Amino acid sequence: MSYIEVNNLVKDYKINVKKRGILGSMQSLLIPEYKMIRAVDDISFSIKKGEMVGFIGPNGAGKSTTVKMLTGILMPTSGNIITGGLSPHSDRKKNAARIGAVFGQRTQLWWDLPAEDTFDLLRYVYKMPEKKFKANMETFNELLGLNEFISKPVRQLSLGQRMRADIAASLIHDPEIVFFDEPTIGLDVVAKQKVRDFVRHMNKEKNITMLFTTHDMGDIEKTCDRMLIIDKGKIIYDGTPDDIKKKYAKYRTLIIDFVEKQSGIEIPGVEVCEDKGNKVQFRFIKDEVSAQELISSLTKKYEISDFTLQEADIENVIREIYEGGIKCDENLCGVC
Amino acid sequence: MRTYVEFAKKAIQNNIVYRVNSYAGIINTIVMIFVNIAIWRAIYEEEATLEGLQFRLVITYIVLSFLMQSIFVMDEYLIQYKVRSGSISTDMLRPISFLGYVFSHNIGVMLFRIIIQLTPALLVAIFFVKILPPFSPLIALYFAISVLLGYLVLYSINLVVWLTSFWYFEIFSFITIKDAAVMILSGALLPIWFMPNWLYNLVQITPFGSIYSVPISIYLGQLPETEIYTKILLQIIWIIVFQVIGRLLWHCAQKRIVVQGG
Ligand SMILES: Nc1ncnc2c1ncn2[C@@H]1O[C@H](COP(=O)(O)OP(=O)(O)O)[C@@H](O)[C@H]1O
Ligand SMILES: [Mg+2]
Repeated sequence: MSYIEVNNLVKDYKINVKKRGILGSMQSLLIPEYKMIRAVDDISFSIKKGEMVGFIGPNGAGKSTTVKMLTGILMPTSGNIITGGLSPHSDRKKNAARIGAVFGQRTQLWWDLPAEDTFDLLRYVYKMPEKKFKANMETFNELLGLNEFISKPVRQLSLGQRMRADIAASLIHDPEIVFFDEPTIGLDVVAKQKVRDFVRHMNKEKNITMLFTTHDMGDIEKTCDRMLIIDKGKIIYDGTPDDIKKKYAKYRTLIIDFVEKQSGIEIPGVEVCEDKGNKVQFRFIKDEVSAQELISSLTKKYEISDFTLQEADIENVIREIYEGGIKCDENLCGVC
Repeated sequence: MRTYVEFAKKAIQNNIVYRVNSYAGIINTIVMIFVNIAIWRAIYEEEATLEGLQFRLVITYIVLSFLMQSIFVMDEYLIQYKVRSGSISTDMLRPISFLGYVFSHNIGVMLFRIIIQLTPALLVAIFFVKILPPFSPLIALYFAISVLLGYLVLYSINLVVWLTSFWYFEIFSFITIKDAAVMILSGALLPIWFMPNWLYNLVQITPFGSIYSVPISIYLGQLPETEIYTKILLQIIWIIVFQVIGRLLWHCAQKRIVVQGG
């Protein structure tokens, strides 16, 4: 049974087109001109209860807009969303009691007051029994080390501390679904890892359904079983991180530093994808060409000072998809 | 309900963070009271009736008006700020009524002003200015009710103005126009009996008179009992009218929220 059901979701933003120059400004003032931009373009997907789904895409792909519609903040232009039987926008208050959300670029904590004040307030907002509240706070303290900074005004917290507090705030009321919108943005490696571990832990422990938005592939590989890739408002992949790796990571790249400038090297089955004179990148399918043979045949003919062999990692695959280098395969994603 | 009480408490707490502002506010209120008294004193000295009842009525009117103004202070840019900064999204994520939240926040602001501003200003008014006491205990009760309703009239008018933030990027000019209208038409600056006839009539038919001049007139015993009831009823009607408009605006606003940034 799917828990979150999204059908043909569309969101258009109306933007004011500003003309340049004084005359242009006058004209815009008198006769405002609008343009519609489609941030989310007819997407459909469903998420099962307890599932942890990564939602990845480049900047401006429409991730945040989708999350804002899923949380009931924005009204969809068309299409519909059902989360646990409710429509997030028209049943906003009822729905809000059961969901949590973290927006990495914005805090939900009271800026001028200590973080603990926000937690106290949330206790009343979500009408939590004191015992439950205390127990949850204790768990978060243990896992996120909130005690170190909880009595400091939020504006004095480091980004990592603030994010930990924000994440705890989104989970304090035992929500059934939690949406994370770039919770690791701007964090250093250690803080990122802490966030990932915690999120993973909560998902497993409490069977909370989660949607995790990011543009950092590392987040997805380490936390999610399933990923959606969105680009220009459309979902271009829906599957596991492993599948995409298997399917597209069939290439290896060999980078050779020649002692002298070379050009026009031609080897069957091997493609020269970058040629900077001394430094040449070769790409080949790993099942068809052996790297060892390739290197030895090259060293026979040329003088080589150094080489590097790169496995295509998922990050590169994603980058290529963004850049339009890989056309998404019908069979694999089924939605392109 | 408890949630909204907590919101009010948080607003008080938030105000305490910016204490300096409130000290400036107390000084401002007291200075304004004295400046106005000095002006009226100068006017009445000309006519040599300084000891007369007329003068004390005017002074009482002015002092009451400033005391009320000093607590009828609201967070005029709260909604605009939330819309512009996009922090409205945080409020939309909570299982609470947004309008209820805005109201409790402003009640918190008012309670804070009562504690920190009204008390000192009231002491000054009673001991240094010698304002007239309320006409009778019953009148004092009507006055209290009418002040409360006056606050709600002003709040409801303000709410309508604030909610335009969802349509206009900058509502500074609307607030300025509204403030000017309140200043002139509510009798906040000038006791209404000094107004030229046409203005006096205008005040009677606009909602603004319900804010300051109605409660003060009740306090001074200038209204016969039946008229007190009609004026209080009128206050209630204005509250309902503007609350309905506010709710309609909010209903439409929810559909057009766009969150700026992230
Ligand atoms: N409030 C807004 N007004 C107008 N356009 C917007 C607004 N918010 C986002 N957009 C546009 O919608 C598109 C998707 O944005 P967003 O959902 O924030 O992407 P992401 O979170 O994936 O970076 C972008 O082109 C962005 O410029
Ligand atoms: Mg975003």
